[in-house]
Amino acid sequence: MTATLTRAWLLLIALSMATTLFAGILPEAGPVFVAAVLLLAGLKSRLILSDYLGLRKAPTFQRGFTLILVGFLGLAMLLYALPLGM
Amino acid sequence: MSDQTSVLDELPGDLMIWVLIVSELLVFGAGLLAFLGMRAMDPVGFAADQAQLNRVAGAANTIVLVSSGYCAARAVHSIQHMRAWLLGAIGLGIVFLIVKWLEYAEKARLGIGIESSDFFTFYYLLIGFHALHVVAGLVIFGLLMRWQTPRNLEAGTAFWHMVDLIWILLFPIIYLVH
Repeated sequence: MTATLTRAWLLLIALSMATTLFAGILPEAGPVFVAAVLLLAGLKSRLILSDYLGLRKAPTFQRGFTLILVGFLGLAMLLYALPLGM
Repeated sequence: MSDQTSVLDELPGDLMIWVLIVSELLVFGAGLLAFLGMRAMDPVGFAADQAQLNRVAGAANTIVLVSSGYCAARAVHSIQHMRAWLLGAIGLGIVFLIVKWLEYAEKARLGIGIESSDFFTFYYLLIGFHALHVVAGLVIFGLLMRWQTPRNLEAGTAFWHMVDLIWILLFPIIYLVH
């Protein structure tokens, strides 16, 4: 269990640094940047649900939460893209 | 009584903490979607306001909070060193609040308040409400330091992971999406 938690933590740190790096490299942002940042947020959220909150042992609920997460981030992307007329 | 198992038995920890987690995620999720809906009507104004946020502080706080979550998770699985891990989680939670306080103080110094713009109304409400959850989590950890049972510890740390999860979604949408 300790190894799983440590792996999750290191991945969370790496994904958080990747988010910061993206923000630094692409200060002007745009749809690709936002999609990447939301994808990274989704991956981090799934790690917390799966390893910190233990849903790895509850696959039915893990699938349910993943589905809700994907729906939420998809809706967020759609709302972001609205003013762009995409 | 029946011996039949339900799908709910899969869930780690108490069912009620999951009801709380789902409720909180729905509240913050609705708030974030409302924020993005308002942004869609004034993307230029929102981008100008967002440029005044301290992204480095927000990014640093993400690392602080996921590390605090790690300490909390280790506390559940390490009975011998449980108090030390909990203290680590508390310490990092306090660091998160200090950074948040400094951010708010900087905004106040610039004369930016909750009524300055729609962006800052959402910023203060969502980020402030989340900070209150951090305070609540720290109080729960304080209680756990004194009265810990495996069940209480699991529920208390699950609350903390929920606070962590909410920040993971708040940070990119409020600080980065433009």
